[in-house]
Amino acid sequence: MIFEFLSAGLDVFLSPLALGLTFAGIIIGLVVGAMPGLGPLMGIILLLPVAIGLPPVPAMGFLIAIFVGGSCGGSISAILLRIPGTPLAAATLFDGYPMAQKGRASDAIGIAITSSAIGGLIGGVVLVFCAPILASFAANFAPPEYAMLAIMGLFAIAVISGGSIIKGLLAGSFGLLIATVGTDSFSTGLRFTFGSNNLLNGFHIVAVVVGLFAISEMAAQMTKRDLLKTPEVKVARPGLQTIGLTLKHYGNLIRSSAIGTFFGAIPGAGGVISSFTSYAVAKAAAKPGEKYGEGAEGGIVATEAANNATVGGTLVPTLSLGIPGDASSAMLLGALLILGFVPGPAMFENNPDVVGGIFMVYLASNVFLLIAGILLTPVFVYVLRVPKVYLIPSILLLCSIGTFALQASVFDLQVMLVFGLIGILFRAADYPLAPVVIGMILGPILEANFRRSLLISRDGYWIFLDRPVSATLVAVNALLLAAMVYLTIKRMRGSKKSDLAKAMSAEE
Amino acid sequence: MKLIGTLKGTLLAGAIMAASATAALAEFPERNIEIIHPWGPGNAMAMSQVVAKAMGEELGTDLPVISLPGAAGTKAQTTAMGRPADGYTIFDGYVAPLVLQPILGNADWSFNDFKPLSAAVANAFAIAGQVDETRWSSFEEMMAYCKENRGDLRYSSGSRNNLPHMVIAKALQSYDCVAQNVPYTQDGNVFKDLGSGVLDFSFVNVGNFRTNPDEVKILLVLSELESSKKAFLGAPTIDELDVDLGLSNLGPMGWTWWIVHPDTPDDVTEELRSAMERAMARPEVIEAVEAIGFVPLSWDHTKYEEIVGGVDAQLNSMGNALAWEEEELKKLN
Repeated sequence: MIFEFLSAGLDVFLSPLALGLTFAGIIIGLVVGAMPGLGPLMGIILLLPVAIGLPPVPAMGFLIAIFVGGSCGGSISAILLRIPGTPLAAATLFDGYPMAQKGRASDAIGIAITSSAIGGLIGGVVLVFCAPILASFAANFAPPEYAMLAIMGLFAIAVISGGSIIKGLLAGSFGLLIATVGTDSFSTGLRFTFGSNNLLNGFHIVAVVVGLFAISEMAAQMTKRDLLKTPEVKVARPGLQTIGLTLKHYGNLIRSSAIGTFFGAIPGAGGVISSFTSYAVAKAAAKPGEKYGEGAEGGIVATEAANNATVGGTLVPTLSLGIPGDASSAMLLGALLILGFVPGPAMFENNPDVVGGIFMVYLASNVFLLIAGILLTPVFVYVLRVPKVYLIPSILLLCSIGTFALQASVFDLQVMLVFGLIGILFRAADYPLAPVVIGMILGPILEANFRRSLLISRDGYWIFLDRPVSATLVAVNALLLAAMVYLTIKRMRGSKKSDLAKAMSAEE
Repeated sequence: MKLIGTLKGTLLAGAIMAASATAALAEFPERNIEIIHPWGPGNAMAMSQVVAKAMGEELGTDLPVISLPGAAGTKAQTTAMGRPADGYTIFDGYVAPLVLQPILGNADWSFNDFKPLSAAVANAFAIAGQVDETRWSSFEEMMAYCKENRGDLRYSSGSRNNLPHMVIAKALQSYDCVAQNVPYTQDGNVFKDLGSGVLDFSFVNVGNFRTNPDEVKILLVLSELESSKKAFLGAPTIDELDVDLGLSNLGPMGWTWWIVHPDTPDDVTEELRSAMERAMARPEVIEAVEAIGFVPLSWDHTKYEEIVGGVDAQLNSMGNALAWEEEELKKLN
C-alpha cells in the first residue's frame, strides 16, 4: 500500500517544476529561518498566494520545503550570533555558539543541517510507514495527557539551567507569569492588560524571544572593544566529514528524532518543546567527557534533529486526520483545501498520487536541505567576518523588520525593546534566558489543559488517574520530581562538604 | 546667512507643496492594502488570502492578510479601525467581533458605524455527536437525556462567547438542557476529542467535517438552508424539529463582510467595493472558497443593513442564552 503511494507520487514529483520549487522553498526557508523574527510560519503565509496558483504537488512541495528549511534556518543565527532566528532554535545556541567561538562555526552549522536533514528523514519515514498508527495513538491524547506532558516539559528547565537551578526556576517562573497576560479563554476575563488593546492577546512569543536574545546580545557585543576590527574567521565548507561527525552521535540522533516525531504527532505540542526536551534528555544521558553547554556536538544534534523531525510528525495528524499540529501545518492544510484536496482518510483512498507526492516532496526537501546547507554555509559563515560596527546595526534592523512583520504592529517593536532590556538585566545577574521561553510556551498549554481537564471531569482531579496514559505520565512526573529533589539535595550536601573540607585544609 | 535661510525655507515650502499636490493627484492604491483578519492562521485565513489575492489583481497591488487573533476578534477590529481612514486597511468583519461582541457588552461599536465593501463568505455549522453513541440516536433524544441528567454532558463550541456558543446555548435553553461548555483554542482538537469520546457533542463546521466524515455523527444542522443540509450530507436541520428554536432566517450564520473605516473617502470606498465584487465573481475564487468548505456570498454593500441588521436583531433577542447557561451551571455546582 505504502509503496503504491510512493510510486504514484514519484510520477507527479519527478517534474522540473516540483523539483525546482522544492529546492527554492528550502533556500527561502533557510533565509526566513535565519532572519530573527521571521520563521517558517511567516514564510508560508507570505508565499501561500503564490503556491495556490500552482499544480498541487509542486505547490505543496514549495510550502513544505519552506517549513523544513525554516525549521532549520534558525540554527544558523543561533550558532553564529547567539541569536535564535526562530524560537525553535533557542536550545541550539547552548552548544552551537560556544562551538563557533572555538573556531568551529562551519562544523557547527554542518552538524545542525545534517542533523536536521536526518531528523527530518526519520520523521518522514514515520510519516510514510506509521501515519495511521501514530495518528490513532495521538488522537487519544486529550487535555489530561497534555497537562501532564506540559509538566514534564517544565522539568527540562532544571536540566538546562546550568549553574544555578534556583535561577533557572525563577527565570522559568517569570516565563509562566508573562504567559498569563491577555484574555483568559475560559472566563473571557482580561489579565494584566491594564486597559491596553495591544495586550488582549498577550505578548507575541517571537517579539519576546528576539528581544531577550538578540537585543541583549547586541548590547553585550557593543560593550566590547573590537567594534572596528575585522574578525579573522576561517570559512570552510562543511563537507562529507560533517555527516560523519553527526553520524558519530547515532544514538542521540535516533532518540532525538523519535522525540521530535512524537511531539509533532501530538497536535498543539510543537517544535520548541520537542527541541528543549530532546536537549534535556541528551544532556542527562551524556557521557562524562561531553561538556554540554560548552560546545558539545551532541547538543546541536539533539535540538536540530528533534525540531526538524517535528515537521514530519506534524504532517501525520494534518494529513491523516485533517487536524493541524501547529500554526504552520494549519496553513498547509488550508493550502491543500484551496488546491481541492480534503486531508483525512478519504484523501489516502481517492488521491494516492497527491498523498504519495506530498510524502516524496517532504523526503526530498530534507535531502535538498543537506545539499543547500552544505553549499550555502560559507555564505552564512562570512557574516562572522563583517566588522561589528556594521554587523550590529544590520542585525538590529533585521530584528526590527522581522518583529514588525509579525502583525504590522509598532507595539511588538516596543515589546521587543522592553524584553531586550530585561534580557540585559538577566545577563547582568547571570540568569539563564532559555527557561523564560520554556515557561512562556508551556504555561498556556499547561493552564488551558489543566482547566479543560477539570471542566471535562465528572470526578474532579481523579480524571488525571482514571485515564491510563495520563496516569502513567503522572507516575513519570512524580519519579522525575523525586529524582530531581534527591539529586539537588545530594549536590548541595556535596558542595557543603567540599566547602567544609576547603575551610579545614585552610585552617591546617 | 539670512539669504541661505530664506532659500532653505522657500525650498522646503516648495517641496511640501509639491508633495501635497502629488499626493492629491496620486491614483489609489499607491501601496499595499492590509487585510486585518481576526483569527489565527488556518482555513479561514487561507480563504481570506484567496479573496485578497484576486482583489489585489483587480487593484494592481498586493493585499497581505495579517492575522491578529484575540478577544473574540475585537482586538483586530479595534486595531483596524484605529488606522487612518484612507482605504489602506480593510477589516475581515466576522459576526463575532462585528455584531456579537457589542451585544455581549465587550465592544462599544455598532455594525452601522462602518462602511461595508461587500459580503465575502459564510461558514455553515452543525451539532455533532459520537458515531457509536448508545444513549441517543437523534438530537431530540439527546436533549431529553440532557434534561434528565442536568449538567452531565460536556460539549464545546470552540472558544467561549462565539457565535456557535450563542446558537448552541439558545438551542439547549429551548429544551431546558444544561450542559458544560469546554473552551478550546483549536477547532481541530474539538473534533479530535469528540471522536475519542472525551466530549459528548460539539459544534462542527463543514471544513472539519469533510476531513473525516465517518468520525462523527451530525445530529443537527444549525441552519434551514438547503445548501447547508447538503454540505452535511443530508443531516436533519433546525427546520425539521418539532419546536422553533428561534434560529430561523439566520441563514448562513458565520459570514464575514469586509468593512472599512467610516471616514474613508467615498471614491476610495467605491474603488474597493467594485474590486471586491469583481474578485468575488471570479470562477476560480468561488471554486477555491467552496473547496475550503465555505459558501461564497454575492451580497453587495446595499444588502449590508438588511442582512447584518437582521442578524443583530435576532442575536439581541437570544442574548440571554449565554447568561442562562452560566447561571444554571452555577446552580448545579
